[in-house]
Amino acid sequence: MGLTADLNVSVQSLLAATESMDVTTTNIANQNTPGYARRTVVLEESAPSGGDGSTTGVDVKAIQSMRDTVLDLSINAATSQQNLSDTVSSSLSPVQTAFSDTDTGSIGATLDSFFSALQELSTSPADGSLRSDVLTAADNVASSFQSTASVITQAQQQADQAVVQETSDANSLLQQIARTNGEITTAQNLGQSTNSDQDQLSNLLTQLSAIMDYQTVKSSDGLTLTTSNGTPLVVGSTAYALTNAVNTSGFNDVYANGTDITSTIQGGTLGGDIQTRDQTLATLATQLDQFAYQFAQAVNNVQTAGSDVNGTAGVALFDPPDTTSGDATGAAASISVALTSGSQIAAAASGGASGDGSNLTNLIDLQNQSIISGDKPEDAFSNLTFSIGNTISQANSDSTATGNILTQLQNQQSSIEGVSLDEESSNLLLYERSYQAAAKIISTVDTLMGNVLDMGVTDPGY
Amino acid sequence: MRVNPNYTSDMVNLMDQAQEAENNAVQELSTGRRVNLPSDDPAAEAAMIGENSQSAAVDQYTASSDSLTDVLNTANSTLDSVTTLLQRAVSLGVEGANGTMNQTDLNSIAVEVSGIQSQVLSLANSSYAGQYLFGGTASGTTPYVADPSNPTQIDYAGNDEQNQVQIGTGLSVASNLPGSSIFSQSGSNVFDALQSLVTALQSGDSSSISSAEDSVSNSLNAVDTAQVFYGNTVNELTTNESYLSQEKLNITTYENTLVAADTATAATDVTQAETVLNATIAAAAQINQQANLLNYIQS
Repeated sequence: MGLTADLNVSVQSLLAATESMDVTTTNIANQNTPGYARRTVVLEESAPSGGDGSTTGVDVKAIQSMRDTVLDLSINAATSQQNLSDTVSSSLSPVQTAFSDTDTGSIGATLDSFFSALQELSTSPADGSLRSDVLTAADNVASSFQSTASVITQAQQQADQAVVQETSDANSLLQQIARTNGEITTAQNLGQSTNSDQDQLSNLLTQLSAIMDYQTVKSSDGLTLTTSNGTPLVVGSTAYALTNAVNTSGFNDVYANGTDITSTIQGGTLGGDIQTRDQTLATLATQLDQFAYQFAQAVNNVQTAGSDVNGTAGVALFDPPDTTSGDATGAAASISVALTSGSQIAAAASGGASGDGSNLTNLIDLQNQSIISGDKPEDAFSNLTFSIGNTISQANSDSTATGNILTQLQNQQSSIEGVSLDEESSNLLLYERSYQAAAKIISTVDTLMGNVLDMGVTDPGY
Repeated sequence: MRVNPNYTSDMVNLMDQAQEAENNAVQELSTGRRVNLPSDDPAAEAAMIGENSQSAAVDQYTASSDSLTDVLNTANSTLDSVTTLLQRAVSLGVEGANGTMNQTDLNSIAVEVSGIQSQVLSLANSSYAGQYLFGGTASGTTPYVADPSNPTQIDYAGNDEQNQVQIGTGLSVASNLPGSSIFSQSGSNVFDALQSLVTALQSGDSSSISSAEDSVSNSLNAVDTAQVFYGNTVNELTTNESYLSQEKLNITTYENTLVAADTATAATDVTQAETVLNATIAAAAQINQQANLLNYIQS
């Protein structure tokens, strides 16, 4: 017990209150900073001072970030997943209108018109204007295949451009993550606080999760980031460069330090764009090519079995396909009408009279035959409509579901990590009082010491 | 448990959801359709593609029936004229065969019958929209022409083929009757019968006239019988068209159940979303005004 000890303890109190207020200030300042987790001061009783050890002061043991790393991981995973769904939905949206029942230029609608024109021709098989109508309708079928194929290609190219942009964004994030990682390790080794770096790292990881999915492992030299199948992205303070290289389909693959990781990216906008480009749209394009090829082939087969209005053997109506190669690649984009005159339509059976319509019956019948990979033409189209509609609708409901989970996780995160102004305000009052009290003790001790020094002095001079 | 101090993100979420619900409902009301894109209801859209196709087919069956009806009616009325002409020829034959006429009168009757023959010939070569009606499927070739080596002999240049036109799912009708089944049937050739009547009248032999008149009468019956085809087919087309219009109605009704907006529900949805939106905004304003410790510890 002693006045000097009281003085020392009070000074500690002042320091503790100041530091606590600093933390409060920092919390209030960063209330809206992404990645910031509120901090609290951990106070502890200091070693006793004074002769009998009856006076113990206070020490600031640590400034703690209220970070829940497990929760952060879940949020990042959900963010990846939601961004994937959103990207799939938005990249496919321009494509689905070509498959809508309201699009009068759709493949389905033009096929209907084509078969209608053939039916109308059957009422007067030698009629020149009806023959021209059939040719126009066939032209429209070819155009709708072409434009639908072009919509798909455009969407693929857009996704591809996005892949390049996102690769570069992810790359710069990975570099920042590696740098921050290094700073954290250095600070840890020096025994310094890593709170700010951790906040920054958390923010960077959240940003990265919006672009792509990844896995994290904590090790002695900081965080290790890998793709879902373990290809390293960041190890310690080293970031593996993400680069693009054009593949045989003309699209950009993603490489991490020379390893092709394209198919392992299954989250975020990058994952969404890759999935859309390489899976959904690629499959759709192939199906469309098959559709165009098989349709053209079926029509041509019937056409070449008949005779035109002049009794000449029928020639192929559609160009392509090259029936000998059997390769449908690019058929939808390149299909066109080969005939130049309606008179060339082989309405008649082989060698039939000019007004014979018996081969027309076979052409019309194609609409009820399973000529497109086992489906009738109209069913083949409606299957595509269902398929793309379902993919988007699935992505939308996935996004909503993940969004709900994400909201909940974020609420939970905010309840742990978020800065509450009310809480900080009341802390401020508390620390202010604490500071005032400590200051009061110092001034009291000062008075007491003065009194002691003045003992026996007649005129202390004050 | 510590309470989430950031209520704003929750509110923004709520407002987003309410806004989206409102947008959807408004779109449904303004387009009159619940399903506007394949992703709105993939199964309904896929079904719509099929229904649209059905609907187009029904429209086309109706259009084909209309076109056919026109052709068949033209052919039918042509045959009406032929029948009238043949009836006149029969009565002329009966007149000529009763033995009371002198050769001059018979000759002038022969001239009239000859005229009938060329009128029937021209009717048998009738066309519709540039296509011969009675040449079978050889609709580009004049069906009946005088034999170059024997000008009084009329030869059939058409064929015996019929075209089929689809007027319903799995339902077809023949769209023509070849002249060989009308005018030049074996044993009842209209032109041969008329020619024999002309020849008999010129010869003045009552019994020949009488037997030639019999042949004309026979061929008249043959034309009458053939004509039934046109009447029947037109009737079938008419019946079918009313069936088609009913089917069209069914398709439209079904399409409505697939994609049409439920106006009442959509209108309610708009109101509901609006209410949620307003309530959320009001709550946010309220909290912002009062619930803050700083408001109380100042001064």
